[in-house]
Amino acid sequence: MTTAGGSPRSALLPWRGMRITVITELTQPVRYVTQLTMIVTQLALTYWLWRALYAGVKVSAGLDVTQATSYALLGVLYVQLRFVDRWSNGDTMVQLMFEGTIAYWFVRPVSPRRWYLIRMCGDLGYGVAWGLGAYLACRAAGAIAGPPSLAAGGAALLTLALGLVITYYLQVIVDLMCFWSTVNDNAVVAVQFASTLLSGAFAPLWFFPGWFQRANDFLPFQSTLNTPLSLYVGRLPVSALPGQLAVQAGWGAGLGLFTWWLWRRAAARVTVLGG
Amino acid sequence: MRITASRAQPWLRGFLGEWRTALRITATSFRARAQYRGDFITALAMGLAWQTSVLVFATVILTRFPGLGGWTSGGVLLIVAIRLLSHGGFVLVFNSLIMIPYIVQQGALDGYLIRPMPVYRQVLLYTFPLNALGDSFSALLLFAFAIARVHLAWTPLMALYLVAAVIGGVLLEAGIQTFVSILAFRFTMPMAVFMWFDRMIATFGNYPFSILPLAARAFLTYLLPVAFVAYLPAAVLTGRIASTGVPGWLAYASPTAGPLIYILARCAWYRALRRYESVGG
Amino acid sequence: MPAGTIVAEGLTKVFHTVARPPGVGAALKSLVRPERVPKVAVDGVSLRVDPGELLALLGPNGAGKSTTIKMLCGILTPTGGRVEVNGITPHQDRIANARQIGAVFGQRSQLWRDLTARQSLEVLRDMYGLRPADYRMRIREFNRILELEEFWDGRARQLSLGQRVRCDLAAALLHDPPVVFLDEPTIGMDVVVKEQVREFLRDQVRQRGRTVLLTTHDMTEVAKLAERVALIDHGRVVYDGKTAGLRDLAGVTWEAHVTVETVPAVIDVPGLRLTRSDGPRLSFAPVEGGDLTPRHAVRRLIEYLPVTDIRVQEPDLEDVVRQAFRR
Repeated sequence: MTTAGGSPRSALLPWRGMRITVITELTQPVRYVTQLTMIVTQLALTYWLWRALYAGVKVSAGLDVTQATSYALLGVLYVQLRFVDRWSNGDTMVQLMFEGTIAYWFVRPVSPRRWYLIRMCGDLGYGVAWGLGAYLACRAAGAIAGPPSLAAGGAALLTLALGLVITYYLQVIVDLMCFWSTVNDNAVVAVQFASTLLSGAFAPLWFFPGWFQRANDFLPFQSTLNTPLSLYVGRLPVSALPGQLAVQAGWGAGLGLFTWWLWRRAAARVTVLGG
Repeated sequence: MRITASRAQPWLRGFLGEWRTALRITATSFRARAQYRGDFITALAMGLAWQTSVLVFATVILTRFPGLGGWTSGGVLLIVAIRLLSHGGFVLVFNSLIMIPYIVQQGALDGYLIRPMPVYRQVLLYTFPLNALGDSFSALLLFAFAIARVHLAWTPLMALYLVAAVIGGVLLEAGIQTFVSILAFRFTMPMAVFMWFDRMIATFGNYPFSILPLAARAFLTYLLPVAFVAYLPAAVLTGRIASTGVPGWLAYASPTAGPLIYILARCAWYRALRRYESVGG
Repeated sequence: MPAGTIVAEGLTKVFHTVARPPGVGAALKSLVRPERVPKVAVDGVSLRVDPGELLALLGPNGAGKSTTIKMLCGILTPTGGRVEVNGITPHQDRIANARQIGAVFGQRSQLWRDLTARQSLEVLRDMYGLRPADYRMRIREFNRILELEEFWDGRARQLSLGQRVRCDLAAALLHDPPVVFLDEPTIGMDVVVKEQVREFLRDQVRQRGRTVLLTTHDMTEVAKLAERVALIDHGRVVYDGKTAGLRDLAGVTWEAHVTVETVPAVIDVPGLRLTRSDGPRLSFAPVEGGDLTPRHAVRRLIEYLPVTDIRVQEPDLEDVVRQAFRR
């Protein structure tokens, strides 16, 4: 009987599981063709819509036409690329619980938590790759403007990275709800809608009424996208970076702790169907 | 022409019987869904929240971007109102269309093919659309709110046209999603594709298209015919047909686009169903 | 403790489910105030499987077999009792336990639907951190009996049930575990595949000395595969011993039902005894200690009696369980 060596290389091998997303998406033309079509169409329509809205005004809610358009287009990319569909693979948490294949997660030498992270990194990595490509294309076409300064760009990148961490934790919470409630496809859709709307992906948050924004400040969603995009387009000055980082760090730490605790409780609660 | 009572009655009884069966199935689905407590409440709450935020944003757009191609805020609210209500209607009846990839994957479609009920109807009865309750209820409220803010001299004819427009909108959205669902027979489609169409109609259906450049307008009128859902009927009701850029008769006839596309979609759907090969296993 | 031992003592598992009374009114009521009902799925199960042994856990649906095996795998945490696999407590030390066990859960595949079977196995190879040479050797070995090469370049969703289970078996044994758990692995499969799987398991137990715990509700499976069987019903072990002993204990065996043209005055068929007679319909069973197979019995009956219709009935699991329980 051979066992895996304790070498650092063998510890990294499970991370090759990130390939699953890439293989799934790229070996089925219907998936990336529809993806490309949806992105191009929505980017074009969004661009035209925002330019049309700004036909009569110069500045609105502190954003001029270039800023608002760039923000909106980046928001479209975020929504399109954040959620990689795992359903056809049988890999959504709801399916795993319902079909009972979640049982395998507990008899593998990689902990469920670690494996979940590996898969999410695969998804997010794939999404980021598409996003980067689309971003460069939009920059070339002049649809998205560059950041006002290098510092602003760096600040946006930093807060985006932290924002992705928060997004990850939020997704974990929704997915782990499967261990407690039998049916939760509605919760999944609900959180998707909430995170789309409240993060600013639907439309720049600056346009919403003041009470809405104040209430939203108590939620983590706006720090996932609104913060980096606002820094990128220059709506928020770079000097606001430390404050925003503190907010994100707070949410990240809090959610991280909570999800760590949730994983422990979930592992004790596995009730796999069938007996 | 004499329609004898004996000839009409069996048809009527059959028709009513089918409705009764459909309602009974719906009641059972409701009971089944209601068992899952958290799911139920979440669905209702989310439907409400989402619709409200859409309306909030529409109002925001109006206040921040005045003069939308000459449309008053009342007119834009009319567009939003018609779209919200038709979406509410769509979700109430046709929500299960987006579950078709799931139905196909489960192999349930094979079972439907041998049952004595039209397959399309069985698909629609697949599950009780919980989120529809929230969506439709809030859509009604918001519709009433919007209509109250629209300052029009309502005549019975206009009211009838409004109703026709809403029904047309329901059928148009249903037609689009039915066409999309045909893909599910051949490919393993992610539900995201349905949601994308839903998002497109939701996002772009709220604005007067006269503000958009020609390319966008043409796309949204002839390729992805969102214009017929709410924009064109609202243009007719508020007397702004000239600014739409489409011929007058087309604008007046906009409520008929929905039923037309729906019928086409259903025919194509059944055609595709016949060529359907069941999932291996 | 020698490598590959499974020990369970007094295993208990209690689930709490929500009561679901019928009716719309009651459904709405349970929305607000749900009623929790405890359900004892496993009630003090004790087992021991020694290295190189194959134990079949036999029981009707809902008997608690799957729950038991999930506790042995470490997926479920027992409400009471003790369990040790190779000296490790599964639910407390899942990662370490995972390296020494392999599992196949019937009708649930580890394979990713959009990947080819081969790609899925490669992902698992990486997960277990196998060396490429070891992996290739293992695959060659499994290929010999399971014939994976025929179909492993097809997407998992296009594979038949039998093909998927063969891949799952390979996946479970990829890392060469000393202990294997199988939860109704051949359920829903045709006879050819079942025999293929059984041959593979027999080979793994005899040649490689693996310890196998297999749950099933199929008596034929037990008869052909396991020398030892534990009968479980309503969460309790009601019999634990040799398979042959179970049959003898239950006193249940196969029966041949014949319809004859005319009933002869004397009915004497060697190797068979008459168990029931109802006019022209007679039922026979093998004599005590006899080893007549159903096929030979049919031939003999046709030889000795004017048979117009004949039917062989395999022992019903319900009968076996009922009889064993009564003891």
